[in-house]
Amino acid sequence: MIRAALIGNPNVGKTEIFNRLTGLSQKVGNFPGVTVEKKAGMLVHRGREIEVVDLPGAYSLTAHAVDELVASDYIVLERPDVIVDIVDGINLERNLYLTLLLLEMDANLVVALNRWDMVAARGMEIDIEKLSELLGCPVVPTVAITGCGLEDLKDSIVDAAGQKRAKGQGAALNYGDDIEQLINKVEDVIKECTALNGRYPERWLAIKMLEGDERVMEQTRAILSSSQLADILSIIEAEEAAIK
Amino acid sequence: MSEYAENLSSALAQRRYERIASIVDAAVKKGRGEIFTLTDMLDQVFLNKHLGIPIFLTVLWTMFQFAFAVSEPFVVIIEKIFEMLGAWSGQAISDPHLASFVSLGIFGGLGSVLVFIPPIFGLFLALSVLEDSGYMARAAFVMDRFMYRLGLHGRSFIPLMIGFGCNVPAIMATRSMDSEKDRMITMLINPLISCSARLPVYVLIAGALFGAAYAGTAIFAVYALGIVLAVATALIFRRTLFRGEPSPFVLELPPYAVPDASSSILHMWSRGRMFLKKAGTIIFGMTIIVWFLSTHPWEETSGGQVIAESYIAWIGHAIEPVFQPFGWDWMAAVALLFGLVAKEVVVGTYGVLLGAEEAGLGEALVSQELFTPLTGFAFMAFVLIYVPCVATIGAIAKETNSWRWPAFALVYQTALAFIVSGVIIAAGRLVGLS
Repeated sequence: MIRAALIGNPNVGKTEIFNRLTGLSQKVGNFPGVTVEKKAGMLVHRGREIEVVDLPGAYSLTAHAVDELVASDYIVLERPDVIVDIVDGINLERNLYLTLLLLEMDANLVVALNRWDMVAARGMEIDIEKLSELLGCPVVPTVAITGCGLEDLKDSIVDAAGQKRAKGQGAALNYGDDIEQLINKVEDVIKECTALNGRYPERWLAIKMLEGDERVMEQTRAILSSSQLADILSIIEAEEAAIK
Repeated sequence: MSEYAENLSSALAQRRYERIASIVDAAVKKGRGEIFTLTDMLDQVFLNKHLGIPIFLTVLWTMFQFAFAVSEPFVVIIEKIFEMLGAWSGQAISDPHLASFVSLGIFGGLGSVLVFIPPIFGLFLALSVLEDSGYMARAAFVMDRFMYRLGLHGRSFIPLMIGFGCNVPAIMATRSMDSEKDRMITMLINPLISCSARLPVYVLIAGALFGAAYAGTAIFAVYALGIVLAVATALIFRRTLFRGEPSPFVLELPPYAVPDASSSILHMWSRGRMFLKKAGTIIFGMTIIVWFLSTHPWEETSGGQVIAESYIAWIGHAIEPVFQPFGWDWMAAVALLFGLVAKEVVVGTYGVLLGAEEAGLGEALVSQELFTPLTGFAFMAFVLIYVPCVATIGAIAKETNSWRWPAFALVYQTALAFIVSGVIIAAGRLVGLS
């Protein structure tokens, strides 16, 4: 069975896509420990069973809002085989922020470029191949309200599940030498910690620590030794001043 | 968060935006630039300063009309089927215990609630269509200025609208509000928005007492009363418990879309399913209890024939004095008592208690002279306001992570129910109604 999760900014047509994909097979529950509603459903495509989980809508993945926390925890801890990021074609600038964060998490990403009809209606032209190449993941144009492109999306989910992404391939974003250097240093300390090995994507963890993400700090505090934690903090503090 | 994180995270975010800009630059051709789309045209009208609110009210009224008018024939059909099944099972089953249980408990009690599947689904369908078309977000936008003056946040509006369907998802929907004060106010006033569970009570009482010509108006009046009370309560809370200005409101307006039939129906189904589940569990369970209490002790009630001798009559008479000033009898008292669990049970209780009657439930209410139009309307108002149902209390407890707020909601609403119903009765008597 392929485990897929849908994610996207609020109001991009995520619910319509989820409904179209799973039809009447939906089960409603809660994400563990919180009251955020979790919807899951099944579909079969090309003989493969796909379980689809609908993650809460989110603009980013910080620890401030419950919804965003649930989404990021699910991706990091449950490790779904494929993440489908639903992107509003007419609001690419805003929507791609979440996409970049997902790539950073080493998520096995498929981008559904929704509202494709509106893109044409507004006289915009999006080069799908180029976009796919720049993001380093498949991009499928869809129109959720008519169901257009959903067969291609299912194909992409099955294909993506077949080829697990190599680790670190998600580094679509180079933050520039100064920050990259800092990320590498923190990553080195993290890699030394055997207890942490493989539990989280190292680069993502390093970036989260640089951002001072409360949730990540809390989760890693138990695993990293206090000297390692102190190392990381001192690296960050020493270099931080140089970055603007 | 320490200072380094503050600086670093903004540096990281900035680099991400730079990257996005370069991606968009390489992959997107802007074409003819901004064109005047159909969405823009519609927004010129729907978001118009003067037309916006009248249009919204018209849409709201149409939504209720649609939900009730379309469902009306189906309600009659289902009602007849349950009446026939009830009468038939009362005679066809030889074991008197079982016959009484099936005809009164199941077909009388549960049946009287299931009759309301059509209007409830109709209402959910109308809500789904409004949401899927993109109008709901406009309504929130239009109402924002008005709501702001009332000390409410524009974003409160969508949870309040969802509340017409069910208060539980409405309270969950307040999660999208980032100001804790705004969110608390919205949660606490939400139960005053009349959910679909209360609809069966209104339809039963208004249909019986006001006749076909005025029933619709009476029901609309109760809905309006709920809205007025919600607004007034919000104002009071804003001035006392949660002082301060509502936070600014940023809302993304999705483009309009023709709602797709299958997705709207699916939307309706996923909400309506909750009602069916509730009918099969809580409401059914409560009807069994009501049936048992109204037909036992079996000997004294001569096999459920003489309700006056049953446990439920005993309970009813014990709490009747509380409601006597409103002119309600012991049946109303027990109906309200069991309705604490879920408000549909008010109707279910009457279904069991009066189910033995030959005629329909509404006619039985009239022929037994249980209500006058005045006391009936006060009863509708009481059902609207008094304690939110168990599920709503649970939702408030979960979302506020405390038992203090649900307890507060319970107390203030019950007090408010007594006050409002009292005022209605007093005002009515003052102008000479009985």
